[in-house]
Amino acid sequence: MTVQMIFLAFFGGAAVWFGVVVFRTHSMVRSALALLFSQTAIGAMFLVMQAEFLGVLQIMMMATEMSIMAIFMVMFMMDPGGLGGMDMSHQKRFSIGAGVSAAVVAIAVALLSDWGPAAEQVVDAEAQTRALGMELLGRSMMIFETAGITILTAMIAATAVAIPVQNLSSKDDKEASE
Amino acid sequence: MTLVGAREGAMSGIRRAVAAAMARDLSAFVLPGASVARAMGLDLSGSHLRLVGTPRHANLLIVVGPLPPGLRDAAAVTYAQIPRPRAILALGAGDIAPLPDADVSAPLTQAGLQSGLADLRRVIAAGAFRADSGEFNAPALEVRVEYTCPMHPEIVRDAPGDCPKCGMTLVPRETASDGHGGHGGHDMPPEDRSNPADHAHAGHAEDAGGAGTYTCPMHPEVISDAPGKCPKCGMFLVKAEEGESHGHGHRHGHGHGGHGHGHGSEAHGAHGAHGAHGHGDHGGHGKQQDHSGHDGHDGHDGHAGHGGHSKAAIDGIEPHFMSMVELTEGQPRSSDGLQMDWIEVPFGPFFPGLPAGLRLTLTLDGDTVAGSEVRSLVGRAELVDGPQMRVADFVERLAAMMPLSPVAYRTLACAAIEEAASVDPGHDARRGRAAAVERERIASHLNWLAEFGLQSGFLWLAARAGALQLAVQGADVAGIAAQAGAIRRLTRRVQAAPLMRMRLRRIARIGKDTPASGPVDRARGGGSDARTGDPTLKDLGFETRVRNGGDALARLRLRCDEIAQSLDVIAAAGRIAVPQVPDVDRVSGEGAARIETPRGAAQLRVKLTDGRVVEADLDTPSDVNIALVETVTAQQELGDALAAVASLDLSPWEVRG
Amino acid sequence: MSILVVLLSLAAGAYALAVIERWAVHGHLSLTGPAWAALALLGRESLLARKSDRLFFELGPVLLLVAGLMAVAVIPLAPGLIITDLATGALFLNAALAYVLVALIMAGWGPNGAYAMIAGWRFLGQFIAYAMLIVMPITAVAMRAESLSTVEIVASQEQLWNVLYQPMGFILFVVAAMGLAWLPPLDLPDATGELAGGVEAEYTGVRLAVLRLARMVIILALAGATVTFYLGGWLGPWLPPWAWSAIKILVVAAAMLSVGRYMPRIREARYLALSWKLGISLALANIFVVGVIALVVPI
Repeated sequence: MTVQMIFLAFFGGAAVWFGVVVFRTHSMVRSALALLFSQTAIGAMFLVMQAEFLGVLQIMMMATEMSIMAIFMVMFMMDPGGLGGMDMSHQKRFSIGAGVSAAVVAIAVALLSDWGPAAEQVVDAEAQTRALGMELLGRSMMIFETAGITILTAMIAATAVAIPVQNLSSKDDKEASE
Repeated sequence: MTLVGAREGAMSGIRRAVAAAMARDLSAFVLPGASVARAMGLDLSGSHLRLVGTPRHANLLIVVGPLPPGLRDAAAVTYAQIPRPRAILALGAGDIAPLPDADVSAPLTQAGLQSGLADLRRVIAAGAFRADSGEFNAPALEVRVEYTCPMHPEIVRDAPGDCPKCGMTLVPRETASDGHGGHGGHDMPPEDRSNPADHAHAGHAEDAGGAGTYTCPMHPEVISDAPGKCPKCGMFLVKAEEGESHGHGHRHGHGHGGHGHGHGSEAHGAHGAHGAHGHGDHGGHGKQQDHSGHDGHDGHDGHAGHGGHSKAAIDGIEPHFMSMVELTEGQPRSSDGLQMDWIEVPFGPFFPGLPAGLRLTLTLDGDTVAGSEVRSLVGRAELVDGPQMRVADFVERLAAMMPLSPVAYRTLACAAIEEAASVDPGHDARRGRAAAVERERIASHLNWLAEFGLQSGFLWLAARAGALQLAVQGADVAGIAAQAGAIRRLTRRVQAAPLMRMRLRRIARIGKDTPASGPVDRARGGGSDARTGDPTLKDLGFETRVRNGGDALARLRLRCDEIAQSLDVIAAAGRIAVPQVPDVDRVSGEGAARIETPRGAAQLRVKLTDGRVVEADLDTPSDVNIALVETVTAQQELGDALAAVASLDLSPWEVRG
Repeated sequence: MSILVVLLSLAAGAYALAVIERWAVHGHLSLTGPAWAALALLGRESLLARKSDRLFFELGPVLLLVAGLMAVAVIPLAPGLIITDLATGALFLNAALAYVLVALIMAGWGPNGAYAMIAGWRFLGQFIAYAMLIVMPITAVAMRAESLSTVEIVASQEQLWNVLYQPMGFILFVVAAMGLAWLPPLDLPDATGELAGGVEAEYTGVRLAVLRLARMVIILALAGATVTFYLGGWLGPWLPPWAWSAIKILVVAAAMLSVGRYMPRIREARYLALSWKLGISLALANIFVVGVIALVVPI
């Protein structure tokens, strides 16, 4: 139990530290990958808490997502070398306010909720995975399918919106050059 | 025996074992290139060498043949990129300065290569480590460190110290005295990163000189007389002068790291091309978010002339937070409408997948080629060296100038001189010459296939075509007949290889109207062939081969067809005779000859006075085809662009210098 | 104990693979060649590119090696001879190998060189092509085994190897695995003729040795995964289980290494088009067919 707590604290600390690095670093790519490692640390926390499937899934998904985010940041954010002194924080006062209030709310929820009795014995990973599958394809199926379709629709819509209408864009160019 | 490029350290027990291992495991980078070595008859694959594609992975530099002057600086940079211990093996190279003296020199023959490698293995085993290994310095590598104030970029000093204006400590900044240089770099702490201001805006502000106003890319209402940070967001302020902006923001520092096989003194040339490209639409960086990371432009302080026009920021209106539209406004647009960073990447002159001696500078928009610039670093010099030349010298000189197809140019020179002197070589000699040129065509096309195999990772093809090329060139009729079956099988197998169609189809399409020469023309249905109508070749059963399609795949197929055809012609001719220097006796006159070299039609006009060559003028196919590079690479993916350039089969040696 | 045995066999396998690679790529068959090459590589200068992102430059190869080792951890060589038999082994393998992408992006970005950077980002494009085709065939394999545990998956092939049970999945998985291990003709990240070594271009000396070792481990891990999922793992007559594993893994790895010699490389956009238009349709069909077979004729 204590060993588990130590690891949990370690990975929790790592997640927070990488989260801070996201904003402290001056490179887009470092920022994106710091976010990745922050999420990986959260996946490791799942593993420590014996939620094997969730942990492995988190670790797997984040690698992809954050790498793709990194390339988008590099492509579009105009910080080419990534080695320069780019400041990752903007609108500082507002951000600090939002961050602090969100943290207060989260901590309050954590402290004030009734979490019920702590489970002494966790079922083994195989049974967990089976239970998760039953849940996903049973009671929660509708929710997840709907969410999946919604996200897919949003992605297609976003792409469609992002592609400039040819005529319009050439008109913009003309205006810009005038 | 010590190695010039030894690594620092005493020869102790373990190092002795390491040195022995290095002597066994030779990884060679070949200058000018493996294709040139093969054309000169060297079989590098059979020498228990590993040929590598980057100097970083080599421990041996093999210089094959005399190094053209245009490649020497690039060669020095390449050598500097090889990690120590590093060795040089010069095969018939002569003077190779600014490279250090070769560790082993040998004649340019297969036997010379073998004995040279054996000597080299001994030298490496004995002297790979040395207590006092010196630095390698060449003008192309020199990097000047200058010191500048982070706040006052106009202050530039040669020595460290404090800024006379604000008293801050000056920070170091590297500039190449003659090009990029920096690649010789050995372990250096990345200290520059700790001084972001160093490469933030210094260079730009310096160009503009004088007073200007500085503004925040995110907060245009912030206007300051001096550079510094934005009080709202902490970003570095950028210079905002009305109607002028430092307009090269998107060309960033990656270009330099390309270890480009010989940046050398070409760096400035490459940079000068910015202006030449005429991207007049680059302006509008006033709103760009950040300009740091320009460190790759060390030494290119001359950014002026790029200017565009930035719309003056409207006071008091906050731009959309992190809006892509705002941030990329005015940047050059790609064909797909996405705004991306553009980088300029040098390829060559020693790039493994391109003709040796060719420098291709690609402006990459993501992995799409937005612009290209090509030039030959080994461009041919004047044909007639001095006021006049002996006929024999002229013929030898022309043949030596074209290492990739010496026989064709030798034949061309002889034919032109015979024309001028009204000498007839006779029927048999004509047949023998035609067969010799066809033999060279087979070898040259096989060489092209080998290079294409190397470029596209089709290693079986690279090995097989290279071996057959070595077997064919210099072989007699019987020798070629013995290889004919294997060569025909190779050409069939290449065309049927999986993924081949997918790799080459629709790449480097060339329309009917663009001028092109040789196989490039015949692969788009064009009929230009200097052999058409030649009675000697007609006699031997020659017919002009043509393919339709005009893409890289059609060129591959046409070259395979031509190989088969040339095999037939040689079999029909029955003899191969490389032309002898014609015996002309104090005649005067003018003559011209036209020959279909492996790359296309070459035409030579000579003027003889008293049996000496006084004037000569040469048109080569590569002169025509090199102009296609820009067309065939435009808006192509990088790999496709390189395949497109390779499909043209350019010989940089043929291009006018 | 089994950890030590697995790691030792991994080292032996990596060496054997290096011999095979030299044979396939350079045409020389030499049993001592890789040893000399490794020793020579360790003796060379380990250069650091100027203005590099030092952290990424150093971490890239190490992360690559770690990802490969993690993937090896769930591959059973014989009954009981596995580093860790996770209940989610097949998924864990994916999770570990997802970091190959991260490592290559770091290694490509780190040296601040154009060739390496393009190579790193190219691999991201390639990843989008192969990622689904790694996961979807494994789904069908797990459906038959009714478990994600690699040991269970091998045991499920007692009657009939998956290569015969779901040949479509086998082909898709091998092609995707070759994309993941950036083997020719899908070697876009280190294409010698296009990018002069790409991700590897700026690495020298010890760092290059680590990078090459990591590559070998990843190829072995993928060959091991192919054997575990489709070729019945340690199952086989006459020979002891570990010998079957060793033979199968080396043969699969050698085949994956040498097939690229005989065709040109294709660019990632074409691979992407093939993978998504053809590959994913086939993978879905494969899942459907396996589902029907599993329900109708349980073997």
